[in-house]
Amino acid sequence: MDAVQDKTTKAPRRNGQEDGPGPGQRLLSPVARLGAGILTLADHLGGIVVLLGATLWRLVPPRLDGDQLRRSLFKMGNQSVPIVALTAFFTGGIMVVQAGVFVKRFGATSLVGWGAGYAVFREIGPILIGLMFSGRVGSNNTAELGTMTVTEQIDGLRALAIDPISYLLVPRVLAMVFMLFALTIVGDVVAIGGAALFGKLLLNVEFGVFFQSFGWLGTADLFQGLIKASVFGVVIALTSCHFGITVKGGAVGVGRAVNAAVVAAAMGIVVSDYFLTYLLG
Amino acid sequence: MIRLEDVTKWYDGRAVLDHVSLHLEPGMLWGLIGPAASGKSVLLKVVCGLIRPDEGRVIVDQRDITKDKESDIMETRRKFGMLFQNNALFDFMTVGENVAFPIYWGSDIEPDRLRSLSVKRLQDVGLSGSEDKVPSELSGGMKKRVGIARATIADPKIVIYDEPTAGLDPVTTSKIYDLLRNLQQRNESTVLAVSSDVQAIRGFVEHIAVIHQGRILYNGPERELDSCADPVVHQFIRGDADGPL
Repeated sequence: MDAVQDKTTKAPRRNGQEDGPGPGQRLLSPVARLGAGILTLADHLGGIVVLLGATLWRLVPPRLDGDQLRRSLFKMGNQSVPIVALTAFFTGGIMVVQAGVFVKRFGATSLVGWGAGYAVFREIGPILIGLMFSGRVGSNNTAELGTMTVTEQIDGLRALAIDPISYLLVPRVLAMVFMLFALTIVGDVVAIGGAALFGKLLLNVEFGVFFQSFGWLGTADLFQGLIKASVFGVVIALTSCHFGITVKGGAVGVGRAVNAAVVAAAMGIVVSDYFLTYLLG
Repeated sequence: MIRLEDVTKWYDGRAVLDHVSLHLEPGMLWGLIGPAASGKSVLLKVVCGLIRPDEGRVIVDQRDITKDKESDIMETRRKFGMLFQNNALFDFMTVGENVAFPIYWGSDIEPDRLRSLSVKRLQDVGLSGSEDKVPSELSGGMKKRVGIARATIADPKIVIYDEPTAGLDPVTTSKIYDLLRNLQQRNESTVLAVSSDVQAIRGFVEHIAVIHQGRILYNGPERELDSCADPVVHQFIRGDADGPL
């Protein structure tokens, strides 16, 4: 009460403004904000690492609910095929359009197939499909788990002596990793098909010529992309689950968590892509 | 038997539970009342190990669950059935699956047997024919009944009801308390019920406690509640506008 009275009776400054933070506080404020940001980041990274450990722990031996796994595989994988295929098809087309100017100028039509395959298998396929998957499946997963958290459904599972990580999270993590791997293969195939079709339509590159140059691609090119897709799957699964089960603050909190999960997954994909590209060569 | 010894729980520098001690005998019908945000739901969650207290001990059937790992607390929780304040029905399941869930997980009961048990329990709570609906198709009262059916289908030794009649009309409230009484008599379970509806819960329980700002102000037989000298208890049970609350 004294503090309230003290504040209300404080005299305004000569220029009419209320007392603000002192110079020391003003200087400290960005540092304090940076520190708070680092603590938040460390908190989330720690939470994600703990969740990874908890998930792996429950896989030895696997304690899974078959229905949850089937439901997750269908919802996250099968229902994502059309959007992944459509995106991949036009991505293949975009690469041909972008390369068209140089292909025509240098008459390098025999390199179109190799160029498309190299870019799609190693980089464009996994990263683009990963980002699509994060936007569609990861955000949906965070929203669903977040809603379950704020409506006490997660506590409901615990109250029934059911481990929410085994029952809800492990099937989702497995489904996301497996389905992103599978969708990347589908996306790669469709993107190459799109590139071949647009190559024929725009550059008059025959299908035979397009696919002949594929011989220059090695299995390493394909596997590098698939390894990346698997790691991206883990990143998306863990970030979306972590932000979902740590929601606070009702519907607004769920919205914030979805936003944070998508941003964190996108950053995780790009950062891990850099290191994987560096390591895998 | 449930015993709480000097249990304290802090949130944001405030004691939500402040040195709470309680003792519940098996088969007891025990009610907890108190103003909003007085710590009622937190107390229930502490009892079944969903929230760990910062101080004190919670003993369920001779076992101190405050020292247990989560996996060990799971074993103790099998003795409990719980109705949450907002029901916490799983919205990705049908009503029938929700009700059968406590006996489905980790068991090898045949699906047909599970379904028949779930249908039977839904009949008990007056919801025959609702097993294939999803929770979003139900009214508030129906969701409560589904929550009660789920909390009791495994015939737990201890049942916790958090606001079993919140937002319901007086007739439905009366029917729900009749239902809870019947289930308790049939299973001889210990019941902990929290409610803001003072009159309705007083007609249901034998023992009652009043909590305010995390402290137990009264804990004793329901019939002696009116003689409690505490002014907060007096004001709360009478619903007076004037007083310390």
